[in-house]
Amino acid sequence: MRRLWLLPTGLVALAVSVILPRWAAAADWQPNAAMMALYQKAKAEGEVSLWTPAAIEGSWVNDQFAKRFPGITVNLTADLQGATKIIAEARAGRHTVDDWTFAIAGMIEVQKRGLMATQDWAALGIDPKDTFFDSQAAATHNFVYTTIYSKAAVKPADLPKTWDDFTDPKWTGKLVAQSFLLPRMMGFFAIEWGPERAEKWGRTLIDDRKLLVISSPSEPYLKSGERVMAVGESISLAYQYQDDGLDVAYRNLDLVPAGQFAVTTLKDAPHPNAALLLAAWLSSDEGKALYEKLIHEADIRPGSKSELAAEIRKSGAKIILEDLNTMAQRAKYYEGFSKLVRGQN
Amino acid sequence: MRLDLRAALILGAGALAAVYLISAPLAMLLAAAFRGPDDMLPFEQGAVWTWDNLVAVYGDPALYTNVIPNTLIFTAGAVALGFVTAFVLAWLTERCDLPFRNAIFALILFPLLVPGVVLAIAWIFLLGPNAGWVNTALRGIFGLAGEGPINIFSLPGMIVAQAALLVPFIYLLLTAVFRTMNPALEEAASIAGAAPRAVFWRITLPVLRPGILAPLILATLIALEQFEMPLIIGLPARINVFSTRIYYELNPDTNLPAYGHAAAVALPFLVAGLLLLMVYNRLIRRAERFVTVTGKAYRPSRFALGGWKAPALGFVALYLAFAMALPIAVLLWTSIFGYRPLGGAILAAASLDGYRDLFARGDFWLALRNTFLVAGASAGIVTLIGALLAWIVLRTKLPGRAVLDVLSFMSIGIPSVIAGLAALLLYLSLPLGIYGTVWVLVLAYSYRLAVATRASRAGLSQLHHELEEAAAVAGASWLETARRVVLPLLAPSLLASFVLLFIVGFREFTMPILLQSQDNLVLSVVLWNLMVANKSADAAALGSLIVICVAPVIVFARRLLTGRAA
Repeated sequence: MRRLWLLPTGLVALAVSVILPRWAAAADWQPNAAMMALYQKAKAEGEVSLWTPAAIEGSWVNDQFAKRFPGITVNLTADLQGATKIIAEARAGRHTVDDWTFAIAGMIEVQKRGLMATQDWAALGIDPKDTFFDSQAAATHNFVYTTIYSKAAVKPADLPKTWDDFTDPKWTGKLVAQSFLLPRMMGFFAIEWGPERAEKWGRTLIDDRKLLVISSPSEPYLKSGERVMAVGESISLAYQYQDDGLDVAYRNLDLVPAGQFAVTTLKDAPHPNAALLLAAWLSSDEGKALYEKLIHEADIRPGSKSELAAEIRKSGAKIILEDLNTMAQRAKYYEGFSKLVRGQN
Repeated sequence: MRLDLRAALILGAGALAAVYLISAPLAMLLAAAFRGPDDMLPFEQGAVWTWDNLVAVYGDPALYTNVIPNTLIFTAGAVALGFVTAFVLAWLTERCDLPFRNAIFALILFPLLVPGVVLAIAWIFLLGPNAGWVNTALRGIFGLAGEGPINIFSLPGMIVAQAALLVPFIYLLLTAVFRTMNPALEEAASIAGAAPRAVFWRITLPVLRPGILAPLILATLIALEQFEMPLIIGLPARINVFSTRIYYELNPDTNLPAYGHAAAVALPFLVAGLLLLMVYNRLIRRAERFVTVTGKAYRPSRFALGGWKAPALGFVALYLAFAMALPIAVLLWTSIFGYRPLGGAILAAASLDGYRDLFARGDFWLALRNTFLVAGASAGIVTLIGALLAWIVLRTKLPGRAVLDVLSFMSIGIPSVIAGLAALLLYLSLPLGIYGTVWVLVLAYSYRLAVATRASRAGLSQLHHELEEAAAVAGASWLETARRVVLPLLAPSLLASFVLLFIVGFREFTMPILLQSQDNLVLSVVLWNLMVANKSADAAALGSLIVICVAPVIVFARRLLTGRAA
């Protein structure tokens, strides 16, 4: 009896010792003096415009930012073609964007044109190793590639352990992937495996395993039973599917490719102080913890305090982070793989 | 009739607006095809004139081994299947004693009014090889194992889906042809002892030929331009056609959208469209001559179907089931049960959350307002300019009026994917401040002058100019004559033009997806965004609401069209 009582107590103690420190780190986070000084200036500006690639990336920001820094409204615009419009606006002499979050690969054209401002992130408590483009952007979270499967249709014993396991004939007619994500993930594989092996893997899935390539999320295909396993989705999508009532789970395999998302302030931002304050907060411990808690977009960079980073480290999987040094090469790879996936070659 | 200054200003403004709405996007498109490099916007500082876009696009072997053959097969297949289906339906409802003809007429129009993206998703749900309802039922009935037997993700699947979308459009044009057909020759052949089949092949078809070739060409233009089916059904089958190639160039894997490449891809597409248009123009002229000679009061006799009545109704039911009833059922089902397959515990999952979520979304109400605003404003602008052009062409001796006529009619040869791309390039480059607003959509949609000009010309040609001259003799100004004499008499033609343009604008997907921003969302784009964001129940709820919205429009359009025919 005494032992039975000890079991839940032990579990609670374990949870407290493992989980709480991470949340406590975020909960304990306080803006430093430089940030508070910046807040006073930002408050006078009253608002800040944030552009994100999709609505879900920024839909939570206004409410949470107001809790930490009241008096500043965050106006959100979700647009996948943000780079084009920022460049076009700059050319027309109009400047409506303060902050812009995007994958670092998608920021290059804006950065090349000198439209991103260089900031002293360290003064605002951001670790310099978490910045990109010579301090023109700061890391916020990662897009973590994974597999999502229908728990009702795939037995635990049948689950793959490596990406190569998908070449097994038992997956024929059961896989689905998005035309946007799959080639990008294959680009990571090409860096790790070499382009020939990555291409062969992709061709096998498409030609032999009859992988269904789609232009929208795989949710309806998993829900209806048209397919049972989505290849190359993200962990945050798995949680979204679960929120929508799908009986699915994600499974990390031997390699965990991860795109890098960052926030930048625009050089001609109409609200420069609010822009920097919001950007610094989004890339702070608190901002990152909220990304993970609210939309399951975690930071898994080295030294990350996120639960997901700990989970992946524990699984022994190898994380392949998007890297400025290999970005051009990977882009070249996934451009080619994209043609393969879309049937354009 | 002499024109006063005010009349000259109004007509001049109409002519200038027509020239701008069509030629400005076209000029932008042509220029963009020769601007580079591809990591710059076409008119950004540093961009130069270059052949690189043409070399990159036309030096790609995949264009010749993949895109062009697929486009030809897809277009030919969809047009052929759609045409045969529409022809049979039109013949049954206009020339035979088929029961329920009026109801069938209205129901056949259904796919014309619903965004193609809605139907594409519904058909995937029905014909998905593993879990599609129809496939599941067929496997159950025939005891089949594995997937299929029907696979929507294939070239035949794309063709059937596109054909179903084309049917109502071809059907509308063919019913008009059947109604204006003089039955004297058919009757003479029958009296001479020819069998009904012989009458059809040797009399009916040759007599109708000029009238049926024109809709055939127009259907080809539509099949070439639309990209909902190729994108949603063709991508899983990895089948690329011209319109999807343009879409991919605008949504590249790296860098900025390749506007120059997309424009370069669009060029032969445009040339092909204009060539088809020239052929169409010739045929229409011949068809008009034919109709004029035989256009007197008569009522074509109807063939008695006899024992073929049941098979004929079966054919109609099959088409309506595929193109209307089953997609509606899927939409309603998904809006209440999500994408769950049929099963015992399904009732427990019933929920109206999709509708509740939709009504709670700000972008839904914004899109609803925008859709009506854009469809209504563009239809109004185009109808007005079309009427002014028709008046200039028919009632004045102004030099250049023939050019205006040709230019307005050329608009029908510009696919909306090209018009959308051109508008994007134009208003992104011009610092007018309308890019990203709802007005950019109104202007982009307003290039479709052909329908309005033709409708107004047809109406105006029936009004004798003596009416206007009498008003002028009585002291009325041009504006007063237009307002009190011409417009009231022209109203049915203008209304028909407005309704048709409103319908096209309401379901438009291609242009608003290319030009979308947070402020100018329309319903078809919100639907697509909901799908992409995994909100399947919300998307289905929206699709269901669109169906409910367009139902009164179908009834109104039917009354208008049948009323005009009468």
